[in-house]
Amino acid sequence: MAGKQLLFITLLLLGNGLLFAQDHHDQAGDHAAHHDTAAVAVHDSASHEAHDAHAEEEGSSNVSKVMLEHILDSHDWHITDIPAGTDESGHPHYQPIALHLPWILYDSEAGLVFAANTHALVEKGYLPHENHVLKLKEGVSTEGLIDEHGHAHVADWAAFEEANGQKSATVIDFSITKTALQMILIGLLMLVVFTAVARSYTRRPDQAPKGLQSFVEPIIVFVRDEVAKPYLGAKADRFLPYLLTLFFFIWFSNLLGLTPFNSNIAGNISVTAALAVMTFLITQFNGSKDHWKHVFNTPGVPWVLKFAIPLMPVVEFIGLFTKPFALAVRLFANISAGHFMVLGLVSLIFIMGENGTNMAGAMTIMPLSVLFTLVIFTLEMIVAIIQPFIFTLLTAVFIGMAMESHDDHHH
Amino acid sequence: MDFGVMGAGIGAGLAAIGAGLGIGRLAASSVESIARQPEAAGDIRGAMILTAAFIEGVALFGEVICLLAVL
Repeated sequence: MAGKQLLFITLLLLGNGLLFAQDHHDQAGDHAAHHDTAAVAVHDSASHEAHDAHAEEEGSSNVSKVMLEHILDSHDWHITDIPAGTDESGHPHYQPIALHLPWILYDSEAGLVFAANTHALVEKGYLPHENHVLKLKEGVSTEGLIDEHGHAHVADWAAFEEANGQKSATVIDFSITKTALQMILIGLLMLVVFTAVARSYTRRPDQAPKGLQSFVEPIIVFVRDEVAKPYLGAKADRFLPYLLTLFFFIWFSNLLGLTPFNSNIAGNISVTAALAVMTFLITQFNGSKDHWKHVFNTPGVPWVLKFAIPLMPVVEFIGLFTKPFALAVRLFANISAGHFMVLGLVSLIFIMGENGTNMAGAMTIMPLSVLFTLVIFTLEMIVAIIQPFIFTLLTAVFIGMAMESHDDHHH
Repeated sequence: MDFGVMGAGIGAGLAAIGAGLGIGRLAASSVESIARQPEAAGDIRGAMILTAAFIEGVALFGEVICLLAVL
């Protein structure tokens, strides 16, 4: 079973990364670990500002920071923080365990730049900040610019950028980030699952489905009969591969997004936007003559609104783009809202417990929080399959609408 | 108190009210139609879930805007 082997290797690679991360843990405390060229390294946390909701000072503003960090894309696959004793003043230390993903930059002056992790990148003279990377001028000290989580610690960013940034260079970030890596893993998973299923159809034709086959067959039949056929009619088979890919990609990513150690990719607007752009292109390239006639010369609209004041064509033209836009935002909002709910409910414990100082408060809210989280999680499992259904359904509806020719419009 | 945060809270509430009204109406009429025509229950349920997801989507648009205002 080559399929099973591939799946095993994928899991092994992922697991290996984690083990490797823990091996390096021995070096924690040694500052050399910061400059480790290995892709995976663990470094010690000297700051009290912990990654998770352990922070002492800042309370609820820290909670929203933690929530955002869980939702946003990153160059570190952060897994957890582990307690690592206390410092002189009694503050607990936390060490992040994370898989560091390499940076791949294109610099218009220096060409391609690779760095194993954020610390190595800063050593090379590039400082990541929010969504872009700043190239530092020669000779700017990189000492202490970023903390152990790879976040820049600059009080006045605009002034810093003005003083130390090299403006002439354009830096483009091509790195395989957490979301991109998760997408590749889901792609591999789909490849494994569906090649195995396809092979069993050719190997055992006209027999009852078995194993994985019986898991995906009802869903494939559902997508074909309930999504594709009603809206695409005779041409359903042409678009079925795309619709099925969409459905299973979104579904798998949602389900994996709910499992520990995985990244939630449908909660990233870029991913959903890319899916919506594909739907948009397929819709427009399959548009019939009538589709374009409806956009630019809508039948039944007075000529004044079409040519004298071209209101209708403008509205129709904008309408072409709002449909995929709504598609992207709907999926993104649904998925990230669920994750925000779970994170918010868990954070309630830390807010009520005043970050570990008020045990009674934390214990009061905890049962409620756990119960609500369970309810939201169950809801999310349902949303995880409803959203791909809606995405595929609307894709089928849009393609069907664009392909329609309106000869039979008058009855 | 920051007015932006307050506005975001009120906005989230309004979005929730709208979605609540919408889903309430949707559920009421679906249950009624299932009672009138139990043999069509499957189709009605499918349409209900789909429409509920649309309404929920609009509420979530509101929620995203509110989050953007707060964070």
